[in-house]
Order: sequence, then structure tokens, then C-alpha cells
Amino acid sequence: MTLSPDLISGALSFLFTILILSYVIGDNPLFRVAIYVFVGVASGYVASVVIWQVLVPRLITPLVPTAMSNSPMQWVMIAVPLLGSILVFAKISQRLSGLARFSMAYLVGVGAAVTVAGAMIGTLLPQVQSTIEFFDPQIAAARSITTAEVVGNGAIILLGVVTSLIYFHFGAHQKTDGTMRRLLPIEILAWIGRIFIGITLGAVFAGVYATALTALIERLSSLINFFGLFS
Amino acid sequence: MADILQCPNCKTENPIGSKVCKNCQTPLSPVNKITGGFIKPGQAPTRKHTADLEPVLPQWLRDARDAARGTEPQNSMEPPLPQAEKDQPAAPPSNDFLAGLQSSEPVSEDDDEYIPDWLANITGKSPTTPREATSEPNTSRRVEMGHTADFPIKEEPAEESETPSWLASLQSQEAEPEKDELTEWFRNASGADTPKHHEPTPKIEESAAAPQPDESPDWLRQMAMDAEKAEAPKPQEDSEFPADAPDWLRNLGSPIEVNPDSGLNPFSLTEQAPAESEASAPPIETPNWLSNETPKQDTTPKWLQDDRAASDSETPAWLANEAPIQLPPEPDSQPLSDDIFTELPGWLKAAAPESSIFSQAAKEPDVAPEPQQDSQDWLKDFQLAADQASEIKPESEATLENAPAFSTDFHSDENVNSLFTEMPDWLSNAVDSSSISPSTSPVDGALAPSELPSWVQAMRPADTSRVEKAQPAPTPNRDLPLESRGALAGLHGVLPAMPGFTPTSKPKAYSIKLNASKEQMAHAEILEQVLAAETSPDPIESLSAYRASRTLRWFIAFMVLVAVAAPVFLRTQFFSTPVGVPNETRDAISVTQAIPEGSALLVAFDYEPSRAGEIEAAAAPVFDQLLLLKHPRLTFISTNETGPILAERFISGPLAGHNYQSGATYLNLGYLSGGQSGIRAFALDPASVAPVDINSQPAWTSTPLQGVTALNQFAAMILLTDNADSARAWVEQTEITRKDTPILIISSAQSTPMIQPYYAAGQVDGIVSGLYGGAIFEQYNAGRPGTARLYWDAYSVGMFLAVVLTLFGGLWNLALGLRDRKPAGKGMK
Amino acid sequence: MRVLTAVIAIAVGLIVLIGYFLPQAEPLQSMLLNWAVTIAGAATLMGLLNLLSVHFTKVRRGEKGGIYSALLILAMLGTLAAGIILRPQHIGMQILMNGIILPVEAMLMGLLTISILYAAIRLLRHRTDTMGVFFILTALLIFLGSATLPFGDVPVIGTLIRPWVTQIWALGGARGILIGVSLGALTTGLRVLIGADRPYGGK
Repeated sequence: MTLSPDLISGALSFLFTILILSYVIGDNPLFRVAIYVFVGVASGYVASVVIWQVLVPRLITPLVPTAMSNSPMQWVMIAVPLLGSILVFAKISQRLSGLARFSMAYLVGVGAAVTVAGAMIGTLLPQVQSTIEFFDPQIAAARSITTAEVVGNGAIILLGVVTSLIYFHFGAHQKTDGTMRRLLPIEILAWIGRIFIGITLGAVFAGVYATALTALIERLSSLINFFGLFS
Repeated sequence: MADILQCPNCKTENPIGSKVCKNCQTPLSPVNKITGGFIKPGQAPTRKHTADLEPVLPQWLRDARDAARGTEPQNSMEPPLPQAEKDQPAAPPSNDFLAGLQSSEPVSEDDDEYIPDWLANITGKSPTTPREATSEPNTSRRVEMGHTADFPIKEEPAEESETPSWLASLQSQEAEPEKDELTEWFRNASGADTPKHHEPTPKIEESAAAPQPDESPDWLRQMAMDAEKAEAPKPQEDSEFPADAPDWLRNLGSPIEVNPDSGLNPFSLTEQAPAESEASAPPIETPNWLSNETPKQDTTPKWLQDDRAASDSETPAWLANEAPIQLPPEPDSQPLSDDIFTELPGWLKAAAPESSIFSQAAKEPDVAPEPQQDSQDWLKDFQLAADQASEIKPESEATLENAPAFSTDFHSDENVNSLFTEMPDWLSNAVDSSSISPSTSPVDGALAPSELPSWVQAMRPADTSRVEKAQPAPTPNRDLPLESRGALAGLHGVLPAMPGFTPTSKPKAYSIKLNASKEQMAHAEILEQVLAAETSPDPIESLSAYRASRTLRWFIAFMVLVAVAAPVFLRTQFFSTPVGVPNETRDAISVTQAIPEGSALLVAFDYEPSRAGEIEAAAAPVFDQLLLLKHPRLTFISTNETGPILAERFISGPLAGHNYQSGATYLNLGYLSGGQSGIRAFALDPASVAPVDINSQPAWTSTPLQGVTALNQFAAMILLTDNADSARAWVEQTEITRKDTPILIISSAQSTPMIQPYYAAGQVDGIVSGLYGGAIFEQYNAGRPGTARLYWDAYSVGMFLAVVLTLFGGLWNLALGLRDRKPAGKGMK
Repeated sequence: MRVLTAVIAIAVGLIVLIGYFLPQAEPLQSMLLNWAVTIAGAATLMGLLNLLSVHFTKVRRGEKGGIYSALLILAMLGTLAAGIILRPQHIGMQILMNGIILPVEAMLMGLLTISILYAAIRLLRHRTDTMGVFFILTALLIFLGSATLPFGDVPVIGTLIRPWVTQIWALGGARGILIGVSLGALTTGLRVLIGADRPYGGK
């Protein structure tokens, strides 16, 4: 039998699958070895990917053409990210780690703007609009949704949205007996929101179990297939 | 008699004006009349001219003195020293230790002098009113005992500066009513119920004209008795007593044990004998003032002897030569530090002020410091004070008045041993009193522990700065707690010697509460409750519970592994694939069917390797159908570092049959860093953000991306993700630039509920959710085999197993939980 | 320096934000975002170097578990070297991916099945409130609705209840959560853009 890449990867897959499966019994050195090796390999692979697919094509490769060109704009286009990347690596030195703040500030500023715009344009407005449009008869008709479904399901969805948001409101007032409680209408609505959130999380929980079950099935299947290679 | 000065030590008669005894060289000082009262510790000394105090001398003293000189019965008050016996002249020995205490000035006959009641009782004379004390010559000093108030505070012009300061202080005590201090002292001393020393001597009784039983101090009586015995053959009652012990010492009552470690009170006369017996009785605990007597073995009290010798010195000799005797310190007294007092009796020294009483001014405001005079001036002061005495001390002092300071009867009929083992009354009273209270009147005539005899006080210099209790001087320690026992009794502000010292003040309490408003606290409380309910782990109740949970975990693992492995191993296809098609899956099918043939598709691989099995199982039938029917050009990109290699795995695994080649039919742009920022950047200008593929080849000029320069030029976008956040990021950032390009999401089952709103909002055109969606899609793939079908039986068995375990196990644990909460609820009620 | 970092963050953020609303600002926004992609890659690499230094320190000090850290360092350096030399798409790297990374992650995910079931069984013992009851009931419904019987879907539950719960009831809650998350992200981003929050250590 020749050592094909599939055989090698299969053998490794079998070995590490068994090592991880040993955790069912309890934490043991074999499991720890598998975990630490996995972290090391994954980290090394990620580093190689970043180097080859980000830094080399964006910083190193354009250096020669940029140096040879006379365009200041090209110089700026390569100099700024080059400087930013170098400042990030300044974190290695404790004395120069303060310089990395510039790069971090740049990334934070860009990320904040992207987050703000994306949240507003991509989630907030469309979701609110969708909640409202659910009651639109024309849209419902285009989706072949009956009026009863519109009213009934729309009301449930609207109630779910509102009460879920109210559930996360923690403003309270002190009562005469000294206890801190929210207003009664808010308490009632929050209780309803708790139901909707419980349902949502229950659905997520079932989805996680389905995903995990599928992964387990895939691993057991690969183990069985590996044995099948030798049969 | 007035012309003669009898030596208090050897009873030698000396002419008036003699400063020292011609026999034993004992300083001769005039006797100050005792006006009564005691010198209390802390009390400002009354400045007196000792020479002027001859009139103050009580009559009984005078009589005693006279008697000792000649015709009158012997006075045994003075300790008979062996040497004194030798040196004694043939003249009848006089036990009048105050014999020399005569005013230097010729004093008129005593008929008109002031005779206190107590003395009158002794001498049988009628009491007289005190007369103004006249000044006495400075040739001798008188020693009196009494209260400071006994001595009148005269405002005499400052005379010579020879008078020591302590004398000046004595003279400045004008405010104190004149009292017979000596009588008071004797009264207090004799008032103590000390059976051992309390036997009045017959001499005292004779000489004192039937004194009252408790009026004279025992030690005085004993001394008088001893003085008699000193002249007579001394009965050696105690063979243990040293041979050279003075007679007065031997005759001090009942046999006593010579035990230096008896721990007797310093006042006890069991201390070493006077000077004459000093060298012969070392093991005996004798008062220091007795032990420090001069070795001349003169029966004259040392303090009298010293008076002669130190007539020119500031310090009376009898004071200077006395050894310190510890007195129970008075509260306001200051520790002794004066060198002058080094030879004083300890009990005197203890009562003396802390600092030199001869160097500090008196504390009494009325006292006017007088210039220092000759040593005999202080005796004059005594005399004057005696003359100016107004009233006789109360009855408690009567005994003292009646009792001579040193009586010849002292030595008679008293066992010498009792001198050392038994405490005289006046001493016991001084010792027994636990509280130092100068105001405490002496009980039964005994000397109060904290009270100084007035004659001692009178000798204190006027400029002493003793803190007196009667007129406490302002000191920094006044406000501090007073120590009432122990060696530091009477002092202020000392550290307690007892353990368990408690602070005098409660430590200041600082609030540790956060400065927050009520509303803020309410908000924080609610948030705390919410977070605590979610994040608080349950502690391990017991090891048995832990073992039970581990057993349950093993059971679940066994069941799941068996239930899942069996269908996979057996490759069963017992269970049917889903029939009902969800809306999102239906729309996804529609989207794929609507993609034009040969069009460019952007495929984003944003899932982790852990979910590769599920995603591949869900995506395989979709892409299989696409590649089979539409032959699209695929462009792979990933915001996950492992995405590119997963893409390669996917295209070379489930889709290997389609033989897609990199650079020809598909292009892998690789890893896109930056998260949402990278997606936004790619959405704006994909060519500049991902110019090359994973092989570093120019991407946007290759075949797969031919005619594509922007995101909206793709026919569709297919997102493979296991993360709702990744799906949200792609949806949000490509919302604007994507425009009409449909987006299809192939997600894992765990993220589908959170992606559903985007589908409901129309932002996502279709969703294929996990193995369930893949199984449905496979049905629309013309029956081509797929992974989903292989996994479906195991999947269904696993789901049923979950239902059974969750339902029955949950109900069982619900019952257990309700049962556990019931006792807790009853306990709370 | 701290003021300068705040100025950089705010200025760059505002320019990027404006680019969402003004098409004229899109080129500038694209340039800034492009630079951010490069710098973010360097930041990812910096994180990996930090991981290396942590475990290296652990090995150097001889702390407990140092042997495992040494194993990690060896694996990481070996994979990095192989990746730099062979490149990430090389067949050797695929062997590492298929033989080590994927199986380990997948098996860890598979073990989650046991933990999830155990948690579902013990849930009602410790938490019998409204949310817990609806949580477990919904999970049971979806479990049952996801499975099929030999003759098809589970009737009623699989065909009606499960879709209705997931597409209506869960949708309401999920939408509310998404809106809440978006509001939070919006607030956080705005606080950074106005300088109220400075996670980069600015002033």
C-alpha cells in the first residue's frame, strides 16, 4: 500500500479522533497532547496563511514596483500600510509598544464606522421595516400570504419584537416597601418577552444539537471508512 | 530646759546654739511646733523657717525632751545604738530625739505656748491656743511631722539665700491653716490596728500621762520603750538579733523573724536598724531611713543627727542621709529624682515630689517663695507656723498629737523582732490603702499611704514643683488616665501593664459604601440579578452528586455513540428524508435554478473546520446541482483563515466529480482579513482588495473572473457559514453594493434561527439549513446520491434519542427539583 | 501622543462613515479600508506571535504543563515553516488540515452532543421558570420536528408546529435580539467615533 496523502491524512484523522474521543472517560494526557498539537498546527497554519495571503501580496510584492515607479501616490499607498504594519509589530518591544496605539486607533476607528453603518443600514432599518411591512397587504399578497396569516403571524412577530426589547429594559423604581421593581406594564411585557426569548434560544439550542450530532456522525463515519480501507 | 538642746540621738545635752551634738555630732535643730495635719503627697510644701518653729513644737515633745534630758522618765523612742551607748555621757540618757529640736532663739517658757489637745492628753497639760510662731535662730533645725497646712504660710521678706528651695516652699505655704502636723502624723500612725507594734509602752504611758490607747503610734511608743532599754540592760529577747543591734531595735516588741525576704512594707520597721545597727543587721528589712543611719551608733535619729552635720548645707542632714524608702506613691506625685532625698526614708521619699523638692517652687498659689535661708531657718518656719496655728486637727490626729515622734517608750517591752515583722499601725495604714487619696483621712492614726507627714512636707523646698493633689499643677498628663495600682500608681498617662489593653477611643469607622444614588443602585441591582441568574454556576453539593452526574454522562455518551454509530456502520436507510420543504429552502432552490448558465458566482467560505461535515453535507447537493446544470464560474473567498483550504477541500471532495480546475473554472482568492472592514472593502472594490489568488496569480484577469469587476456583477453570492455574525456581516456590508445580486446562505442548523429574520426581511434570498436542508435539496437533485442521505438515519435516531432523554430525564429532574425546593420553602416559612 | 491616536481614530472613522452616504467619498473610504485590511493582517500575525511568546515563557520557567507548551511550540513552528516553504495550499498542508485540524475540531464538536443532552436533562431541576420551560419545550418540538419517521415527517409536529414555531415565534424573538444587538453596536460605534470610548488607549 502506497502512502497516499489520503492514507496519511486518514491515519492522522483516526489517531486524533480517538485521542479526542478519550475525553468521554475524562481528562487525560492523551487528550491534552492532541489538543496542544492541534493548537500549534492551527496557529502555524494561520500564520502561514496571513503571511502568504495578506502581507506578501499587499506589502512585499508591491514594494519593488512602487520603488521603481515615480508616482507619489503609489508611494503613499504602500507606505501607510507598511508603516501601520510595522507599528503593530512594535508591540513586541515593551519600550516601543506605545507606538502600536496608532495602528490600533486606526483599526478601531475604521471598525467603529463600519459597525455603525452596517448596523444601521443592514440590520436596524431593514428589520424594523420588515416588521411593519408584514402587515402590508400588497406584500403579503405577493408572498401568497393570507390576511389571517398576516394579522395573526404579524401580531405574534410584532409582539415578539417589542416584548423582547422590553425584556432588556432594567429601569426600576423604588416602591414604598423599599423593593426595586419595574413598572407593572413593563413587568408584564417583559414576562411575555421572556417567553419569546426562551423560544428563540430553544430553537438555537436544538440547532446546536443538530450541528453537533452531524459532526459526530461525520467523525464516526470517517472512522468506519478508515477501517474500510483495510478491509 | 529651754537653754539646753538635747541631742535626739545620744540624748546628750548641748547648749543652745549648738549646731551639732558634741557627743555624736548629730545636727541639732530646733523643734518645730506641729500644727497638725499631714503633708499629703503632691501637696505644695509650706515654706517654713525651721528656726521659727520651736514654738510649734508640741508640749509633749518638749516634755519628752526634757524628760530625756534629765529627771523625767526615759524616753525609749530613739533607737539605742551600741555605739551610742558607749558614747553616751553619764548624764541620764535622754530618749528625747527631739531634744535638739529647739529653736535657736530663746523661746519663752512653754507655759504660754500652744499645746494641742493630743499633746495635752499626753502631758496632762491643758491645751492652749496656738501662738504666733517666732523666728528661731538659724543655729539648729527642727523636724516636725505634720500636714502642710499645719504650717502657717508667712510672707517673710526674703532673707539670706541660704535657705534651700525646699525650705522656701515650706515657708510659702501660708494658705494652709496652721496645724499640729506632728500630732496629726502621730495620731494617724498610732491609729492603725497593728497588734504587733501596738503595745503601748509603759514609758509612753507614763510620760504621756495616760495617753489614749490608740492615740500614739506604736512605733513611737516602742521607740520610747527602746530608749529606756537602751540605758537599762537590754533584754536580749531574740538571740537571733545581732549583738550590735541598737537597743531600740531590740526592744521593739514581740520577737520578729529576721527575714530580709519577708517582703514587708517599706514602712515596716523591720528594715534595717538605724545607723548604729546598720552594719550589724544586714538581713533585716529595715527602713532605709533607719538603715542609713550613721555608723556612730547614736541613738539619736539620724535625721536629727544629720541636722547638725548639715546645718550649713541646704539639705538637712537627716534628710540627706536617709536611704530612700518606698512609699505608696500618691497619684499626683512625681517620681523621686532628687538626690537630696537619696538618704531619706523611703516612705518619705515616696511621698516626696518627683523632682527635687528643694529646687522646685511650691504649687500653692498663695505660697510666696521665700529666700533660702540657713538650715535652721526652716525650723524657724516651723516655729512660726506652729505659733500661727489656728485649730487643732480633728480627733483623728489627737493620737498623733499625743504621741511623741520618737518616744523612749518605743524600745521598751517591744519585741525587736516585731520591729521587723510587724508593721506599725501608722505604716500599715499607709500601705493598706490601695487608692492613693491624699484626702483620705488617716484611719486610726496610721499614716495614709499617699500622705506625707507635715513635717516632711515642711522640709520640702518652696520652689519644688511637685504636683499636689490638693492643688494639682497643670501638667500634660493630668487629663490622662490615672494609674491606681502597681509600681506606677499615682502617675498619669502610663501604659497599662495588664494585658488586654483596650483602646481609649473607638477607632473611627469609615464607610465603605459606594456613593451612588438610589436609582443607580436599583439599576445595578437588577442587572446583577439578571447576570447572576445566568452566570452563577452551581456548586458541587457533594461527591455522591458528582459521581451520579458522571455516571449519567457516561450513560448518555454510551447511548449516543451506540445510537449514532449503528446506522452509520450498518448504512441503513430506514428513516425517510424530510418531505416538507421550508420556505427558505424552497426559495433557495428557486435562486439556484434562476442562476444563468456559465455565470460567475461568488462563494464565501466562512465556516470552521469543526462544522465542515455539516456544511459540506448541506452545500454538496446545492453545488452539485449548480455545477451540473449551470456550470458556473466559481470564485472563492473567505474571511476565515482556514476558509481557503476548506474551499479547496470542498471543490476536490464532494465536487470532485465535476473536475473543476483552479484558474479555469474556479478561482480561490484566499483569505480576506479585517472582518467587516474587509468585506466592505471587497464590496467596494474587489479588484484592489484581492488582486491575486492563493497562487499569487492575477485574479481579475483570469477566466473565472472574466467580465467581473464589481460585486454586483456576480450572478449570485453564496455564503457558507456556521456563524450568524458572519452572515450578518456579509449581509450588512454588501447590502448596498450587491444591489440585485441574490444572496444564498448555506448555514449550519445552529445559526439558522438568527439568520431567519434576514430572510424574513428579504435581505437573504434563501437559506439551506444544515443536514435537514441538505437532505431536502438532495431530493431536488435528480436523485443523485449525497452525504445527507448517508447521515440521515443516524441523524433521526439521534434526534429521537434526544427527545426521549430530554423528556423523561427532564421530567424526572423536574420532580427532583420540586422535591428539593419544598424543604427549602418550608424552612424559609 | 494619546491625543493624536484619538484624532486618528475619529478622523478615519468619520471618513469611512461618510463614505456610506456620499458616493463621492467612496474612493477615500476604499483606500482607508484597504489599508485597514493590511494592518489587520499584521495584527492577526502579532496575536500569533504573542501566543508563541506565552508558551515559550511557560517552557522557560518550567511551569506546570510546560511539556505541553513545548509540544505546542514545536507544532506551531513546524507548521509555520512548512507553510512558508510549501505554501498553505500545498498538499502537505492539506494533510495537516485533513488529518489534524479538522478531525480534532470536528470531534470536539461531536462531544458537544453528550454535553448538550446532559444539560437538557438537568435543566428543569435547577431552573423551573417561564423561560426554562419554554426553552425546553421548544427544543423538544424542534428535535421531534427535525427527525422523520420511516414514512415521512412526524405528523403535525414536523409539518405544522415546527415550521410555525421556527418561522414565527422564534422569528419574533430573534428579530428583537438582532435589533437589540444592532442598537448596542450602533451605540458603541458612535461612542468611539465621538471619542467617548478609547479602547486603543487614547486621550
